[in-house]
Amino acid sequence: MTPCALLRITLLTCCLHSTAVLAKEVQLFNDKGFWSAPLQTVANAARAEGISLKISPYANAEQYKTFIQASVASGRTPELFTWWTGASLNTLTATGQLAPLGALWKEMEADGRFQPGVKDLFSVGGQPYAIPLQLSRWVVLYDKRVFARLGLKPPANWAELQTVATRIKAAGQTPFLATTQDGWRGFIWFQELLLRTDPKAYVGLNNGSVAYDSPAVRNVFKIWSDMYAKGWFSDPRSNEEINDFVRGKGVMYLFGEWAVGLLGKAGFPLQELGVFILPNAPGVQQPAIIVEGAPIVVSRKGLANPDVMKTLRFWVSNQGAQTWGKASGNYIGNNKIAAPNAIVSQVNTQLAQTRHTMFLRWWENVPSALQGEMVAEFNRFMLKPDMNTAQNVMQRMQSLNTAYWSSRKKS
Amino acid sequence: MNPLMQHDQQLLARIGLAQIKARERARQGRQFRLALRFMAPALLLVTALLLLPVLYNIWLSFTQWQLFEGRDDFAGWQNYRQLWSSPYFDEALGNTALWVLASVLFPLTAGLGLALLFRQMPGQEWFKSIIFLPRILAPTAVGVMWYYVYAPQGMLNQVLGQFSSMPVETGWLFEEQLVTPAIILTFVWQSCGLVMVLLLLGLAALPRDPLEAARMDGARPWQVFRHITLPLLAPTLLMVVILSVLAGFTVFDLLWVMGANYPQQRTLSLAVFMYFEAFQKNNWAFAAATAVVIGGVVLAVTWLQTLLQARVDRMVR
Repeated sequence: MTPCALLRITLLTCCLHSTAVLAKEVQLFNDKGFWSAPLQTVANAARAEGISLKISPYANAEQYKTFIQASVASGRTPELFTWWTGASLNTLTATGQLAPLGALWKEMEADGRFQPGVKDLFSVGGQPYAIPLQLSRWVVLYDKRVFARLGLKPPANWAELQTVATRIKAAGQTPFLATTQDGWRGFIWFQELLLRTDPKAYVGLNNGSVAYDSPAVRNVFKIWSDMYAKGWFSDPRSNEEINDFVRGKGVMYLFGEWAVGLLGKAGFPLQELGVFILPNAPGVQQPAIIVEGAPIVVSRKGLANPDVMKTLRFWVSNQGAQTWGKASGNYIGNNKIAAPNAIVSQVNTQLAQTRHTMFLRWWENVPSALQGEMVAEFNRFMLKPDMNTAQNVMQRMQSLNTAYWSSRKKS
Repeated sequence: MNPLMQHDQQLLARIGLAQIKARERARQGRQFRLALRFMAPALLLVTALLLLPVLYNIWLSFTQWQLFEGRDDFAGWQNYRQLWSSPYFDEALGNTALWVLASVLFPLTAGLGLALLFRQMPGQEWFKSIIFLPRILAPTAVGVMWYYVYAPQGMLNQVLGQFSSMPVETGWLFEEQLVTPAIILTFVWQSCGLVMVLLLLGLAALPRDPLEAARMDGARPWQVFRHITLPLLAPTLLMVVILSVLAGFTVFDLLWVMGANYPQQRTLSLAVFMYFEAFQKNNWAFAAATAVVIGGVVLAVTWLQTLLQARVDRMVR
């Protein structure tokens, strides 16, 4: 037999072998086009395990939502797709088309891969309906070089936070980076300040029991407005937030851990990046942290498909989570693997030392019908951060809130 | 001829005429059925792709349809009443009216000026191509590009900074008074090329005799333009106005991209309002009612303009 013929037979055998072993193709629909490459890396790793995973991204979130909504309405819900936690997940589970994943979570928690609190972020009415695509904690990233030059330490309490910001401002730099870029960022400082000053109000705000013009919210706007008056925030109109941090336009950056990879790509030396959790205001004892959990959900049809469930099990396995973490820098909450970067590792250590209560972001918690108009109001305040604007913003948000919750009661 | 015979002949003629008419009707019927057979594929497509969705949308606007919740109860005029009492709808209506006015006035003025300038200018092909170029770009891409031009550290401020001792950091899209003019400028930049080309075609088609006669009679260029060129160009101008009005009513991409993704009060048009209600808030039935209103207004305006077009055509003839 010639070497050429031998090669042909070998290739043919490999092809036949892989066709026989590979499962039927499973499509993961998502709106994360920007993560297509790392998702494909996971799909390649899954192939070695006999899983045929196809990544099907949509160009933007609006198109994607429309596709899923239309699929659900027509009763042809995709087997596997990404979604949002909180109010959006509640709405989707109400259709009865999503599969509960209690059995899978039991397996995941039994071997200590995931802490029990993580499941709650992906649950509706105590029943988990998703697994994490990512689990991002909202923390303050800071430039260690500036802190070292000014002899500063990460603040451990509210008073130290004020001191750090005052010293940075006095040194001629802007303490905090915060913009209205892409239209959705307006809620970031609001949610954090409310959680730090009144965690009960934070919960109540999102179920309609606390008003947007209540004393707790007014207090947040007062603190926020004072911080602006002291010149602690960067230009809210900038549309280059990540680059602004690299350029030193703000020394501290309150954002999800997922920004670490973007900062590295933009040229920030990651060994100079520090992290701390924003401290609570005086009188608030319970350590807390805001978490953004992006879910992967399965339809009822998907639950019955062994290939889909095999794909899900691979995703949350140590190998799957490790591959995804390395490729994207994202953490999914799996404790058994090394953190994808030093920042995630430090946050993990800090959270392990102190029992922090996890709170979903305002964005996921607020009903989707209110998201856009409310965040536009926060942005409006950031562009003119005085108490007159705040008053108007609070009134407008509360009228939207009242209209929404009263319409829910009627229906 | 006796009256009886005359009557018989008339009767026969009438019968003959009726037979001819009946034969003619039968022939027309055959022709219609034949035409219908040829038109059937197109009619089916128009019905399936245009008529049925429009009728379905009208039906939805009278329901409480929620995509996820599967509610489709009949709601009567509720969505329309809600639309009428919504403060956002008022803002959107006002802003759209402003947009329509601006999208007719400015591109028309700029396009007419450029068409007159380039009509006999040497090397005009190059200039025309350059001015038409933005038209081939997708409005979303244009919006993103100009978003960066107008940014506080953007190109416009950098250019203005060359003429100032202080750095210029105006946030053009963040100032209430500036955002609409800024977006209108972008719209004019993109649309005046097409208006210019249409008017150049209109100018090229004008009869030469009246223009030359006026010149020979000693009319000044402005008088020729005012009393000869402009009236003769009226049908083309009216067509451009119709296209501009429709573009103004349906403007979405630029406002959505440059209005920072979420409706700011100043950038909320009817189309943005409808999209926001449907895709952001899942108020599908309410959005359907908005679509019916937009469609109604556009139909009414187009009908008025068609009447005007007929009148202008009669005047020109």
